[in-house]
Amino acid sequence: MTIASRTFWIAGSIMVTALLVWGWQLIADYGGIPPVFLPGPDRAFRALLSGFDGGELTRLTRATVERMIYGWILASLAGIVVGALIGSSRLAREYIAPMLEIVRPVPVSAFMPVVMAFLGLTGTMVLVVIAIGSIWPVLLATVHGVSSVEPRLMEVSQSLRLGRLRTLWKIALPNAQPDILAGMRIGLTVALILAVVGEMLTSENGLGWYVLQSARAYRSADLFAGVIVLGLIGLISNLALQAVERHVLRWKRR
Amino acid sequence: MKLLKALVLPVALLIVWEIAMRVSGVQSDSLAAPSQIAVAFYAAMLDGTIPRRTAETLRAALTGLAIGGGSALVASIVLGLVPPVARLMQFSIEVLRPVPAVALIPVAILSLGFGYGMEISLVAFATFWPVLIYGHAAIANIEPQLLDVSRVLRLSTFGRVTKVVLPATLPRYFVAFRLATAVSLIVAVTVEIAANPLGIGYELMTASQSLHPDLMFALVLWIGLVGWGLNGALLLAQRRLFGPAAMAEIAR
Amino acid sequence: MPNVSPLPRTEAAGATPLIAFRGVSHVFGTRPVLQDINLTVGKSEFVCMVGPSGCGKTTMLRMVGGLQTPTVGEVTFGGKRVTGPAQEISFMFQDYSKALLPWRTAAGNVSLALEASGVPSGERVARIKDLLGKVGLANHADHFPAQLSGGMQQRVQIARCLAQEPSVLLMDEPFGALDAMTRQALQDEILRIIEASRTTVLFVTHDLEEAIYLGDRVVALYPNPGRIAQVFEVDLPKPRNQLTTRESPAFLRLRRALFDFIREGEA
Repeated sequence: MTIASRTFWIAGSIMVTALLVWGWQLIADYGGIPPVFLPGPDRAFRALLSGFDGGELTRLTRATVERMIYGWILASLAGIVVGALIGSSRLAREYIAPMLEIVRPVPVSAFMPVVMAFLGLTGTMVLVVIAIGSIWPVLLATVHGVSSVEPRLMEVSQSLRLGRLRTLWKIALPNAQPDILAGMRIGLTVALILAVVGEMLTSENGLGWYVLQSARAYRSADLFAGVIVLGLIGLISNLALQAVERHVLRWKRR
Repeated sequence: MKLLKALVLPVALLIVWEIAMRVSGVQSDSLAAPSQIAVAFYAAMLDGTIPRRTAETLRAALTGLAIGGGSALVASIVLGLVPPVARLMQFSIEVLRPVPAVALIPVAILSLGFGYGMEISLVAFATFWPVLIYGHAAIANIEPQLLDVSRVLRLSTFGRVTKVVLPATLPRYFVAFRLATAVSLIVAVTVEIAANPLGIGYELMTASQSLHPDLMFALVLWIGLVGWGLNGALLLAQRRLFGPAAMAEIAR
Repeated sequence: MPNVSPLPRTEAAGATPLIAFRGVSHVFGTRPVLQDINLTVGKSEFVCMVGPSGCGKTTMLRMVGGLQTPTVGEVTFGGKRVTGPAQEISFMFQDYSKALLPWRTAAGNVSLALEASGVPSGERVARIKDLLGKVGLANHADHFPAQLSGGMQQRVQIARCLAQEPSVLLMDEPFGALDAMTRQALQDEILRIIEASRTTVLFVTHDLEEAIYLGDRVVALYPNPGRIAQVFEVDLPKPRNQLTTRESPAFLRLRRALFDFIREGEA
């Protein structure tokens, strides 16, 4: 498709979104639903702007994002290290890996009540749950990536007498790059979800707590503003990671 | 042999855990011995807690899946067969998709209150997207010659959809629904843990807050089992229904 | 009659052999793959091994490279038994696309061998540049394998093998997957490169003409189980030329003899 027609369609799809927003406005104004339940986009955006202007939303966004990123980075690093160790040892793969599969079907949010029983309704609890939740996809992806090296490359490393550690560092881990990055992307989504749920449960400062509070106090405009911010966090973090992935994996393109 | 190796470590850990709990004699509010967990599980099964709560969660999850997945099925067919519509909806989809379903919990509470309605709506929202994206991709990737054949045979739109499009894409839709089923369970349990007073998630929270670690762990294990069982059953159905030819289709 | 010795000359001319197979037999499970192989290779010799599939020529190569241990007999290098891969012996694989690290550039792949040998990072840059220059890839140092043609990828492998500064080069059908023109270009390039460094080469190939063109000796193996059936002396002048050498009467006679011999073996 030519650049011109591509731009045309992109512009068109943005216009469709604008139309939908306008439709939202119409329903809010004339649809007969009380504004306490459905604020129009005008009120939602006003609440959004004043929230950032006044600093409240900035503060809360920062709290949620920090929580999400810290937990995710910690979990990713731990996941890569442990995954590399497990994936590079045949013994570990036969004895430990099956156990990992047993835990996999458990929904990550189910860990929250468990950790809560130990750590109570604290910020630490939320961070721990985020870490546990986002370590999983990275760990499994690393184990898979490290253990599925092209056999020919293993022979190359043998022929060059690299030794186990250097083989892991120079061949197995780079080989796992695509898997690890995909796992980290899933982990980030999980981190956001757990951060929000954690804040809702513990009333720790953050957007999760904010939106729940707004709902309880029937402040629908604030509620929608918070939801919009959360959606933006999800969108931006995903786009950022995709950009990183494209750069790191640029060797794949012909 | 492989199975035995796989069981060695878990069984060993269970034994160590059991012994540790008994020897230390500690009465914990957050830890329970494997034997206690088994007992609590058995009891909760017998008195109907687990069956009842499981039914509640499954009812919400599967209803939400039917609504979200079903509407996504139709929407994806439209997107797939009418590319201009797909291109025009692109931006709206990319903007709505990253909103985490949990962020909408307060919205659902505000408009629908607690109970099945809000949980079903949230599950529907969450399961809509994977089916839409995968389904659209499946249709967009139909062997173009098949569509030519449908045109040469002068099939009506309905005929084209039912006789060519759906059968060609069924295996991929099945995979998409399998994924969506897992999502429906996860979202349902998450909503119950976060706010909604029904289902296994709620029971899990109650067990934790009322300091019943044995029941709590039993429920966690049960949730895992249900998820695994559901996925396993669907995998089996997938293999039976579609066989190796379709599996190659999915892999492509 | 072309230069075919009545008894196959399995012993290298000159003093101490660099590589030696003594009474080597090998089985994979219950399948016999090699039977009583006795062969020596002298320093700076270019020995080609040919034969149909199943004659164990690749297995022999891997034994010298330390990637395989014979079930019976021993393979020695410099008088000592081969127990594993050695610094002085480099191995070049046929499937170049799988033998290069796809996430490293051409320079990065060559660097791998230098890193393995413990060359300090300061020295590496200059040596990589030199090696890539030798194989004609000076302008492609920053390209990834996915961006290089088959011939270029194989050249990267050659550069990586040379980075080890080997005394022995083991090549396993290195040009088999390339088109005819690229193959001829790389044949000449190999000859040119080792002429300067006087490296010993063990070269496995399916292509009988290639074997004669490149080699000082051609070892012909019969399959099932693999055994040395005949060794041909290649008395063609060096340097070789794709046109003149291949048209020379000596070449054609050798070619005829080798073809006939292999055909008899397959019968």
